[in-house]
Amino acid sequence: MEEEKSALEHLELSQVNCLNEAGEHTLRSIVASRKKNTSPSTYLLSDVDQELILNLHFNQLVKIRSIVIQSSVESQAPKTIKLFINRPAIGFEEAGDAVEPDAAQIFQLTPEQVKEGKKIPLRFVRFQAVNSLHIFVASNMGDEDETRIDAIDIFGAPLSGGGLKDLSGLGKENDD
Amino acid sequence: MPLEATIIIIDNSEYMRNGDYPPTRFDAQSDAVNTVFGVKIDSNPENSVGLMTMAGKGPEVLVTNTKDLGQMLQAIHATSSKIGGSIDLPTAISTAQLALKHRQNKNLRQRILVFIASPLEGPSTDERNMVKLAKKLKKNNVAVDVIAFGDAIDDSENPVLKAFVENASSSDNSHYLAIPPGPHLLSDAVISSVVLAADRGIPEDAIGGGPAASTSGAANNFEFGVDPSLDPELAMALRMSMEEEQARQAAAAKATKETGAPSAPEPSSAEPEVAMDEDEEALLKQALALSEGQDVDMTGHQEEEGHEEDEDEEIARAIAMSMEESTKESKEKK
Repeated sequence: MEEEKSALEHLELSQVNCLNEAGEHTLRSIVASRKKNTSPSTYLLSDVDQELILNLHFNQLVKIRSIVIQSSVESQAPKTIKLFINRPAIGFEEAGDAVEPDAAQIFQLTPEQVKEGKKIPLRFVRFQAVNSLHIFVASNMGDEDETRIDAIDIFGAPLSGGGLKDLSGLGKENDD
Repeated sequence: MPLEATIIIIDNSEYMRNGDYPPTRFDAQSDAVNTVFGVKIDSNPENSVGLMTMAGKGPEVLVTNTKDLGQMLQAIHATSSKIGGSIDLPTAISTAQLALKHRQNKNLRQRILVFIASPLEGPSTDERNMVKLAKKLKKNNVAVDVIAFGDAIDDSENPVLKAFVENASSSDNSHYLAIPPGPHLLSDAVISSVVLAADRGIPEDAIGGGPAASTSGAANNFEFGVDPSLDPELAMALRMSMEEEQARQAAAAKATKETGAPSAPEPSSAEPEVAMDEDEEALLKQALALSEGQDVDMTGHQEEEGHEEDEDEEIARAIAMSMEESTKESKEKK
């Protein structure tokens, strides 16, 4: 497989938002640089309970191959994840009840995956035209009230010929 | 200037017929809704406001989020003939949340503004359930403002509604406002409160003590009888006008002082009075002398001479006194 590029650079930052995030530890703070967050002082923390919904909007259609979810505190690391695509109005009730194929993919994270930030390969066919990706965190490793995510990264490529904002990037077409 | 979609929940229960807020609770509330709508819409061109009721047959969305004042007024007017029943706050808030969730512009933050003048009743309005509801709102990024008046004001130590707002508040975005009945208008109390501070571009601490200050008498505690935060331009104009007048008075006082001489009419008006006093004193002396058995003619003659001398003296004294007065006055003015 060819070297994958981070799709974070195609994020539409003004639309990025997160439900149930704590006031001081927001999703925006860990993706604002459009790169994987490396600063230990910025992280995303849940507020009222352990659930989180991360809404990531892209400025063009992208294909997503794999994602990385990293957390430095094991007991607060996310465990059950549901991924949705192109569902900008999703809420906790809907997400909690959703099963595949309504949710694009449901999986459990292992402690190694979150600790080292290993790539989690996704079912590529279901992520072929992603305008917005919604990551629902249903539970965490230690059943704590707060879920902590230090960094996320998304690997994929813009859909060929799709991006209006990226017309100059002719070379990118070769990636597919 | 927050970018917000707001749903206003109004109370249309039987309690709204009460007349403790002039003219009636419902009309006072309509007025306040109108005010809130205006402020919200003006604060950002993308903002929208919706309206729903929480009594009657059941909570009902009257206007989905709009910028059209006409729809608002029409809905309020239609409701004014449908006052009845009792409120169902938890259901109303859940409905409002759903209405907000399906707002057209997802960039807008969500806010629910509740007007409530009925006591909290019903199975799920105890503190535990309300706090649970508040947590749910907080989790979904919905801010809540509660404007309690009439029967909704709870005199207990920690009112349920206040606890509800505190639990729904994240980074201080939700507010509880209790407006007791009084001569002030409900809408005045609302507009000068912390609830609309952000929309009017006023820092929340500048509102001064929040609910307590805003409800303590809308217009009476201010320097010129006008709340400076309500109409900053008017307040500034009043202050400038006062300062100008003060400056003018000070200049006038200075001018009189520099010319040295007291202005003409003052001593002349003071003189006869003093002289009259002196006459009286002289008469008194004469009477005393009479009673002491002195010769009347002699005293009469002496008195005349003495009177003339006295008068001269008195004029001098009066001038001195009036000068003293005018300097004192000018000092006071300064």
